[in-house]
Amino acid sequence: MTIVDIRPHLREWAMPHVLCAGCAHGIVGRAFLVATDRAGIDPDRMVVVAGIGCSSRLVGYLDFCTLHATHGRAPAFATGVKLARPELTVAVFSGDGDGLAIGGNHLIHAARRNIDLTVVLFNNEIYGMTGGQVAPTTQRGAIASTTPRGNTEPAFDSVALMIGAGASFVARASASEPFTLERIFTEALTHRGFAFVEVLSDCPTYFGRYNRLGDGPEMLAWLTRQDSRVAEPLAAKRVVDHLPIPEAPPGLDLGVLHREERPVFTGRRSG
Amino acid sequence: MSARGVVLAGVGGQGVVLASAVLAEAALQSGFEVKQSEVHGMAQRGGAVVSHIRYGDTVASPIVPLATADVLAGFEWAEALRWLPYLAPGGALVVDARRIVPPGACRDHRRWGVPYPPLDPTSIAGRTGAVVLIDATGIAGTLGNVKAANSVVMGAVSRFLDLSDAAWEKAIARFVPPRTVDLNIEAFHAGQQAETLDPADIPELGLDPLPERHYHIDVNEAWCKDCGICPSICPEFCLALDDAHRLVVVDEEACTGCRLCEVLCPDFAIRIVTPVGAQGGAR
Repeated sequence: MTIVDIRPHLREWAMPHVLCAGCAHGIVGRAFLVATDRAGIDPDRMVVVAGIGCSSRLVGYLDFCTLHATHGRAPAFATGVKLARPELTVAVFSGDGDGLAIGGNHLIHAARRNIDLTVVLFNNEIYGMTGGQVAPTTQRGAIASTTPRGNTEPAFDSVALMIGAGASFVARASASEPFTLERIFTEALTHRGFAFVEVLSDCPTYFGRYNRLGDGPEMLAWLTRQDSRVAEPLAAKRVVDHLPIPEAPPGLDLGVLHREERPVFTGRRSG
Repeated sequence: MSARGVVLAGVGGQGVVLASAVLAEAALQSGFEVKQSEVHGMAQRGGAVVSHIRYGDTVASPIVPLATADVLAGFEWAEALRWLPYLAPGGALVVDARRIVPPGACRDHRRWGVPYPPLDPTSIAGRTGAVVLIDATGIAGTLGNVKAANSVVMGAVSRFLDLSDAAWEKAIARFVPPRTVDLNIEAFHAGQQAETLDPADIPELGLDPLPERHYHIDVNEAWCKDCGICPSICPEFCLALDDAHRLVVVDEEACTGCRLCEVLCPDFAIRIVTPVGAQGGAR
């Protein structure tokens, strides 16, 4: 597989980006750039739409046609772009707060219609840009600025949500596995229909600091342990027989979890 | 008869454990008490695959004590040297001239810098009795299957043991895959008759040195935020944070071009560059 140099795809004049040291969003952005190259997409015909949040700021550094939209409404803007200019490849960068909280409705209806979009949802389990507030994806028990004694609510499973809403390609990947990300993004970009990729990312500045998970390097290792293929086998491994083991950590399934061929919404009457 | 000891050593996949089962069975068939013990695993990564067999009228321990083995069979030259201390003074050494360089011996990831011992039995003169150096792998290949090399080695080992051919053949038939019984028995007899090679006839270890590759770790300092991810994942420790928590390239020479730092840099700040014209292409 050829090595892709992503610097030509960056707006170098805008760099360095505003994201914090150790924030894994950049790893995801880089893998996305590689995937657009691998998928053979003309950068002038690639549109990336973003809402509000740290993940959405990333779009400003990608040398594509980019659109910085209102909070949570990136799928709505992207729907408009795709219906007006169906020949363009349209992707959405969204965060967990942006896509699942304020923009939840836009996301599920875009999935229901099976519009030919690729949605990348950066899940760092917290509102990073606004000061570390609890998000709908924050794990139960985790500390955020608004849940100083631990979050009491269950977290959203965005992948189950999107499969239920009708997305025809649903995947989950981790920022700690950049080569897998490149492959999944390439498949998502070439999928015809609504493709949704949840990417487990990190926020060392808020989530990591509040929950004592360390900085960038430690959080990448922590991300790896979210993988059910890692978390559950480790929990099942009994080192000392007579000691009770704590409940298995809730591992997340990674990979392409759902794929189907379904009529794609184009806004036109068929026949 | 006091217990006789045999040590078999090789690399994972060569059939050391199977060969030791055959030897143990042959001794059982001959009416001896047999104890066998093996260590196997990771030989291709520098670990040990070695099997001890002791047989006699009564055998107390399955482990051959140091410097008491009647026969040491090395399925590979360096492994034979490794287990040499187990051989009794004057004991017989049977060696396959095959050489398998373990990756762990490769000290330089960009070139083959291999401290592999020269294949020269005179270097251990005085440590052993009879030395049988045979091309077991080559003989087995001529017979039709290099996997039968272990039977060739056992044929050579049988010269030094008081077990009947009938017992050996019965043992081979019991343990090797059914379709290869004839081949293995043939290989066994070939090993019995194989002539000892002159080390001078054995070609040098034919490792083509890899062309030198040098990588440049291009760090865009203006973009780097010194987050510490790349120093934490670099397998060759090329990158580090200095006392002021600033990223420094400490050992570019050691870079193997794996690009983990490049793909895991959240700030797009690292690029691994191969010089133009060098192996691996320009970039």
